[in-house]
Amino acid sequence: MILKFFFRKELKRYPFFFLLLFTTLLLGTLGLVGISVVSSEVQQKLRQSANELLTSDLAVSARRELFPAEQEALQKIFLKYPHGHYKIIDLYSMVTNVATGVSRLVEIRATGTGFPFYGRLETDGDPFQSERLFISDDLRNLWGIGAGVSLKIGTLTLPTAGVVTHDSSQGLRGFSLAPRIYFPLNRLEETGLLKPGATGSFAYHYKLVDPSEEVLREIKLEVYAAIPDSAVKITFPQDTSDQTARVTNTLTNFMALAALIGLILSLVGVFYLYQSHLLARLRDLCLLNLYGLSKLKLVGGIIAQFSAVFALVMTVELLLIPVIYRLLAPVLSRNLGLDLGTQVNLLGAAREIPLLFVLSLLILTPLLLGLLRTPMGLQLKAQKLALGRFRFFDFLPFGFALWIFSGYLARSFKTGNIFFGSLILVFLVSTAIVKLGQWLLRRFIQGDGLLTPTIECGVALRGLTRSGHKLTLSFLSLAVGATLISLILQLDKMILTEFAFDAKKPSLFIFDIQEEQLEPFQGLAQANASPLAFVTPMIRARLEAVNGKKFERKKKDFDFRSREEDEDTRLRNNGLNLTYRSYLTDSERIVSGEPFPAGGAPEGRLSYVSIEKRWSERMNVRLGDRLTFDVQGVPFDGVVRNIKEIKWTSFYPNFFVTIEPGQIDAAPKTFLAILPQGPLPVKLSLQRKTIEAFPNISFIDVGELVAKLSVLFERSRQAIEIISWLSLAVGLVILYGLSHDQVYRRYYDLALMKSLGFSSRQLLLNLLYEFGALFFAAMSLGLFLGWLIAQLIGREVFKLPVSVDWARVFYPAILLSILCLATIFLSSWRAVRAKPRELLSDS
Amino acid sequence: MSELTVVVENLRKGYGPGDARVEVLRGVSLQIQKGETVALVGKSGSGKSTLLSLLAGLDQADAGTITIANRNITSMDEGELTQFRAANMGIVFQQFHLVSTLTALENVLLPLELLRRPRASETARSLLEAVGLSHRSHHLPSQLSGGESQRVAIARALAINPSILFADEPSGNLDEETGEKVMDLLFRMVEATGTTLVLVTHDPELARRCGRVVHLEHGGLA
Ligand SMILES: Nc1ncnc2c1ncn2[C@@H]1O[C@H](COP(=O)(O)OP(=O)(O)OP(=O)(O)O)[C@@H](O)[C@H]1O
Ligand SMILES: [Mg+2]
Repeated sequence: MILKFFFRKELKRYPFFFLLLFTTLLLGTLGLVGISVVSSEVQQKLRQSANELLTSDLAVSARRELFPAEQEALQKIFLKYPHGHYKIIDLYSMVTNVATGVSRLVEIRATGTGFPFYGRLETDGDPFQSERLFISDDLRNLWGIGAGVSLKIGTLTLPTAGVVTHDSSQGLRGFSLAPRIYFPLNRLEETGLLKPGATGSFAYHYKLVDPSEEVLREIKLEVYAAIPDSAVKITFPQDTSDQTARVTNTLTNFMALAALIGLILSLVGVFYLYQSHLLARLRDLCLLNLYGLSKLKLVGGIIAQFSAVFALVMTVELLLIPVIYRLLAPVLSRNLGLDLGTQVNLLGAAREIPLLFVLSLLILTPLLLGLLRTPMGLQLKAQKLALGRFRFFDFLPFGFALWIFSGYLARSFKTGNIFFGSLILVFLVSTAIVKLGQWLLRRFIQGDGLLTPTIECGVALRGLTRSGHKLTLSFLSLAVGATLISLILQLDKMILTEFAFDAKKPSLFIFDIQEEQLEPFQGLAQANASPLAFVTPMIRARLEAVNGKKFERKKKDFDFRSREEDEDTRLRNNGLNLTYRSYLTDSERIVSGEPFPAGGAPEGRLSYVSIEKRWSERMNVRLGDRLTFDVQGVPFDGVVRNIKEIKWTSFYPNFFVTIEPGQIDAAPKTFLAILPQGPLPVKLSLQRKTIEAFPNISFIDVGELVAKLSVLFERSRQAIEIISWLSLAVGLVILYGLSHDQVYRRYYDLALMKSLGFSSRQLLLNLLYEFGALFFAAMSLGLFLGWLIAQLIGREVFKLPVSVDWARVFYPAILLSILCLATIFLSSWRAVRAKPRELLSDS
Repeated sequence: MSELTVVVENLRKGYGPGDARVEVLRGVSLQIQKGETVALVGKSGSGKSTLLSLLAGLDQADAGTITIANRNITSMDEGELTQFRAANMGIVFQQFHLVSTLTALENVLLPLELLRRPRASETARSLLEAVGLSHRSHHLPSQLSGGESQRVAIARALAINPSILFADEPSGNLDEETGEKVMDLLFRMVEATGTTLVLVTHDPELARRCGRVVHLEHGGLA
């Protein structure tokens, strides 16, 4: 009986309600579930290939060669565990094609015998051997060379043995800075690239007979105990995939938040739909109650009904997603360098669905509580039916769940909080604006006349001032939708400007210039008509203590970590590079404290230190703190004089820590420099000449890096754009539902107005005024808030000045206007044609 | 000699298609003098509301003509009809029907302002006073009782000083005592203004208060 009432009968009598409910939920959850599927698939693939990415069970590595004592300590530890091992040195250097004389930057992967333990390298000819020189297909494509070509690396010339066409250890191929070459480790010494201070990664890889988790953990603790220097790290396969996944993770998490907005919009819709539906069904529910069905059972019936719809939505969605995924997978595989395949594991992807369900159900709590509070017996006598009131507190469970959920989706408390905070902001501002607007309108229409300015408008204004939270709700959903659209478009613009090629940006980033090489190198550059800019010293150091208190290495196991914690550990464990200079670059801005005084640090006073804001927050360092650095064995003390913001994407040589010149100058250092934008032949000839004279000096082609980054951002921007259109679609469905419902509710009002002499045109005008004003105000607010939030992000993330791009404000405004007016028009059309005759019938 | 205000000739109206068609009015003819009060009675389903809706121009007849104040309303298009109705007719419904977003006063004001009558506000206020609701003028319909709502509806119907007032069971949704009071009010105001009244009712008592009683039966007048 109950089943029949809540399912068959309802579906038959209210098909429109169920259709809207279904559509709203489907559109609202599609983005979120879709992203969850793709990201879980990527994560799973990354986990599967984790061993292949690392090529071993564990690696002990540092950005320097391990000291002999450290190497001995390792040997002693691993004596206890049966194992095989090899060494990998990764560094960047120039390679020259001897036949053509053309050079370019490559990533040299020098591998010892046995490489790789896991995974494989496919070649186009002879199988891979660690004792011979192989090139990647990137380089082959660039230079059109294959086996048997002589390449000069540093001072050594070797013939190539073949081309590696697939390397399972190369995860996110899009992010490597330069094409790879595979170099025999035993010949690396001869290249002269291994000068002290050379930048590179020195890794000792182990394959254990028993690579169980306990053994790995044990080894980790032993190594950390034996090697106190936090510059030496242990990497497990797990960590590799973490690192490789970090970028994808961050992006998918942001996308998930964007999708969450869509979900929230749709939940607002669900709330609204259920509210009007329950009101329409209230008499029947009261009757059921009268016949003996308890209120709790009624509520249970509604929950069961909603669950069924939700289950149906999820089923349809999970059927849809593999289709979408099959279209997406090739694109993703290409960009992530992962072989994703075309089959999705839906079960693995379904982990967010229960959470989604709880969240969706919680939005109904206020209504269900309202129903429980409804005095049902009285209702049957009453002229007008009313649902029991719900209170503000009824929304708290939903709010709380939403807060948790946004933190969970962003995998970051901070981002989640910012998101949730902005949402509350939009909510509060919208509510305030509605209340204020109503108050103002009420003052405006205080007189008796309905004619100000016209009668259609006068009646519409009264409609606006006198519909309560329904108005707020529709306003809210519209405002949130507009905010999102506007935010996306503004961010899009920032990303475009940020990563556009621009003449002021450096073209080459040059590093590893040894102290004694600086002058001759500058001479060489001068002679080549490509003078260097921003020649900056770089000192390798580690933060030892703050105000005399030592920094401890954090002992982290394989546990769930949020993004901030990950970054924290990275920052604390790694040594850091610092510089000294007295001036600020264009991309630096002091936010607190004083600039360095002129003249450098005199003897007898501690040197001043300038630190980056984010770094200061992470390391918990404040103005006036005394910092103790370990500069290659020698302690160096300084006092924090100012904190600055740095625009990293400027690609200028910037550092977390800058020391006042003077006392620090004597420390061992290398130099960085940039080559400003200029003619391509000059750039190429500088690279070629440098490689001959100074083989240890490396280049990063910033132009290439920027190009690669823009591809990545472009992809995520597109994804977010799709999601925002989904949200917009949800917004429109809700708007349709809202205006349809409003019109339906006021059907008699409209018919009555017709019988009193309103023409169809006047009625339509009246509706357009009412919904149009609502929509116009919501849209303006949303566009403004979106712009505002974008400006905040621009300031915080990209360090951009405030700007207004009118085209990007008007384009969505016009589009939204057309869509919304069409929606209102559609939903009002029937009502405007209302026959006043129906006023005489009873129901 | 009194002048004719409503002339109905051979009016036909049915609902539904083909076999399922119900012929509700099968040639009704009727004449009503100016200032006359007519009670329209008959069994439930006899077509009283149907006839009223045709007289008030709320629906289209299948055949026949209706002439009100010498104008044939069956040949008017929708726009003309709307204007004619707004200027000449008042209607009171069984379910009161007030515009839910307008206050009592604004509801009375609405037809006046639609016609751009001068001194609309004063007229509306005095009418509300006449129905004894001046203290309720700024209340929304949701804040009014049934009896109060119907009094507002009567005030609204009479606001434009219509030449003819149609009322379909105006006391049907009110308790006996309130219904009586509201009907007293209606008759008093109709008498005072000399308005022609067509009243549908099931109440013989009420019907007797009208100058003439018309019975609707088997699709025609008995
Ligand atoms: N829109 C419609 N579609 C089909 N049939 C209709 C429609 N409106 C009325 N009818 C039918 O026309 C007949 C007359 O209806 P009407 O409402 O005029 O009766 P009534 O005399 O006002 O009855 P009551 O006293 O119960 O109000 C009824 O049989 C009714 O079922
Ligand atoms: Mg009737």
